[in-house]
Amino acid sequence: MFEFDQNIAQQLSEVSLNSSVQVRVGNSNAFSVTASTIIPLMQMFEMGGVYISASRGAVEIIQAFEAIGIDVSHIQFVDLVSSGILGGTDVPYNNVHFVDSPIMLESILLRTLYILQASQSPRNFVFLDSVNALAIYNEDRMLAEYLHIFINTFRQREILSVVINVPDQTPPLVLSNLDLYCTDLIDRGNVVIM
Amino acid sequence: MQSPSTYQRDRCVTGIHGLDEILRGGIPYGSTVLAAGTCGSGKTTLGMEFLVRGALAGEACAHFTATEPSVKLLENIRQYQFFDMNMVDSGLINVFDMDVLYSWLGLDKATFDLDDVHALIKAIVDIVNTIGVTRLVIDSVTTLCYKIKSDQLIRDFLFTLGKKLATLGCTTILISEITSATENAHWSSFGVEEAIADGIIVMGDNERMGHLLRFLQVVKMRGTSHSRAKHAIELTPIGVMLTPMLKWGAQIDSTSRWGQ
Repeated sequence: MFEFDQNIAQQLSEVSLNSSVQVRVGNSNAFSVTASTIIPLMQMFEMGGVYISASRGAVEIIQAFEAIGIDVSHIQFVDLVSSGILGGTDVPYNNVHFVDSPIMLESILLRTLYILQASQSPRNFVFLDSVNALAIYNEDRMLAEYLHIFINTFRQREILSVVINVPDQTPPLVLSNLDLYCTDLIDRGNVVIM
Repeated sequence: MQSPSTYQRDRCVTGIHGLDEILRGGIPYGSTVLAAGTCGSGKTTLGMEFLVRGALAGEACAHFTATEPSVKLLENIRQYQFFDMNMVDSGLINVFDMDVLYSWLGLDKATFDLDDVHALIKAIVDIVNTIGVTRLVIDSVTTLCYKIKSDQLIRDFLFTLGKKLATLGCTTILISEITSATENAHWSSFGVEEAIADGIIVMGDNERMGHLLRFLQVVKMRGTSHSRAKHAIELTPIGVMLTPMLKWGAQIDSTSRWGQ
């Protein structure tokens, strides 16, 4: 059975809509921390939102949530991975949007803004999964600039931004800028193996 | 009386997401704006959305199409949520095929002389005047000017047309096809359109690691201060959307095919 990290929900209850939360995860706990973050947003705080998937295809993420009994059909996914795979965009879900590549950073922002304009929910989040995946494709200075714009764009619009990050796979320049721009930190990046 | 520092020209609010912000409120009313862009850069969509936003505000709009038949144009534009065919049916947006207009005027010839050019200007101005058009798009002025062989005639045609339309209070977008949108490029095919226009909007693609990223840049707009930065654009179902391009991204893109 899937076990939620209740402390994350507690921490999220203290953030406001114009906050930007950095969620540090490790390689082994990425999905459990992601789920423990997004589920309270959807269920406790009844928020709508956009999930930007740069680390895995949207279908894989949707099915991972379905496997633990979580319905994410009212969340819109912006998939940055599947267009790079022939046949990857032929998906059985209608809440998945595609951007050609993780290097089309401005397109990701515009596509997300478009989806949020069409959103019926009065309170929304944007979930970026993940900075370290974007760092595979994008030059450090450009990614740091992008995160600056990304976070401020949503803060200005009172949309909660949640940024997933594996710190030891993120360039130092990007990491230090992320620390500077984000208003809150949920740190689950240091996994202790007992 | 307003002092010169506070005087503001009336604006034609384009209604296009982000563009009015770049133009500090919209296109100065009655301007002739050249929208110059490479193929697939979103010129026709921009022009059509400009008309639709005007029609939604109750303005009479006209579109002269020289690059594709009006039926094909409307079929392509119907995919956008901002477009409603009722606007055409109710006469708020009037679409004219240039080929049909040429036939009406008896201009079924390969090249136009001075008299032909004047007849064409008169026909366009008469249509604008009769319908009371306040927003006009000619798509494209490049295709139209291919029939005019002399640069001087092209200059006269565009200057006279722009002047007459401005007198009628019509804000016009002249779409121009260019092959390159870099800093060394001309913003027009014939080199004269850019000198005549009150404003120039350049549209093109930045190549970033094998992917084409559309951009829009306002390089000139008389009668208003405006941003001259490159903006990334996305053609979404609800219309054109803009955001400033990443500064470091532009540096990386400058090594690309279009940036050379």
